[in-house]
Amino acid sequence: MSSRHEVRNHVRRHRRQLHDITQQELADRVGVTRQTILAIERGRYDPSVGLALRIAEAFGVAVEALFEIDQEEGP
Amino acid sequence: MTGLVAGRPLPPLPALVAGGLVILGLLLDTFVADGFLVVAGLGAFGPGILRELGWLKDKDEFQRQAAYRAGYHAYLIGGLATICIVSGLRRGGRDIEVSSEWIMLVLLVLWMTWLFSALLAYWGAPKTASRVLIVFGSFWAVFFLAHIVGALIGPEPLQLSGVLFGIVLVGPFFTLAWTAVRWPRPTGAVLLGVAVVLLVIVGPTWASDSLQLPSVLVTATLLLVPLVASGIALVRIQRSQGSEADDSEDPGTPKAVGA
Repeated sequence: MSSRHEVRNHVRRHRRQLHDITQQELADRVGVTRQTILAIERGRYDPSVGLALRIAEAFGVAVEALFEIDQEEGP
Repeated sequence: MTGLVAGRPLPPLPALVAGGLVILGLLLDTFVADGFLVVAGLGAFGPGILRELGWLKDKDEFQRQAAYRAGYHAYLIGGLATICIVSGLRRGGRDIEVSSEWIMLVLLVLWMTWLFSALLAYWGAPKTASRVLIVFGSFWAVFFLAHIVGALIGPEPLQLSGVLFGIVLVGPFFTLAWTAVRWPRPTGAVLLGVAVVLLVIVGPTWASDSLQLPSVLVTATLLLVPLVASGIALVRIQRSQGSEADDSEDPGTPKAVGA
């Protein structure tokens, strides 16, 4: 029995609904390109621990509020 | 800081310098002397070497991951292509001779695999397909414009069929670059169809004995790989990812939240 882990994130929700900033503004705050923020929000890229912590710091929340593991049972 | 062109940020300075060196090297190699190809090599591989040495820090972690992954893909595809070529050269069924064209073919396969993989990871399929089609369409447009100018000022008369072929070849690149970001999956199917049609039209010429095999393979790679790779990437987009095509700036203004 194995399990598959997928990281779900709530970056887009925090950015738009709680902080009302653009992808570019968030990218500038955490020192990456806008395309990187876009990829994270769309689930195409799981950020490093360091970047996840920087994003959490930019929003003033714990990293667990932004990222969670979506665990699925595999065959 | 990067400047703006038509509201869009300019590429970073290292990318501009690298691209400039590649173009300069190719031009010097074509029109001045063969040895200048090394200048293009410096542009193509120099920035990556500087990054690995830690002397150039212009990429964020997502870009670096995309580049590393693309490097692995280039190793796999380039390695397979090299094995096939070496195998064919050893067999020697068509009196194949080792030449610099064969090495250029391997380099081309390596570079194109790396480029496609890195761009697909970074931009996603629609934007990558659109930009790649514009780049290769421009390349072929310049090639045919040079052909037309050469015919106009040279002793050889301008062939109308050559001009028509140029339009038929270049037109789809720009048209489909526009549709790729709007209707990715249909565009992908059309791209694959165009590749098949071009293969049917040009294939017999390529197969003729008058052409050197490595030159044919280089031309086929430059002509067909952008169409086929973009087409496959676009067709593979799932319906739910259709909005992926639009990666324009996502505004911070909150929208009404549904149930």
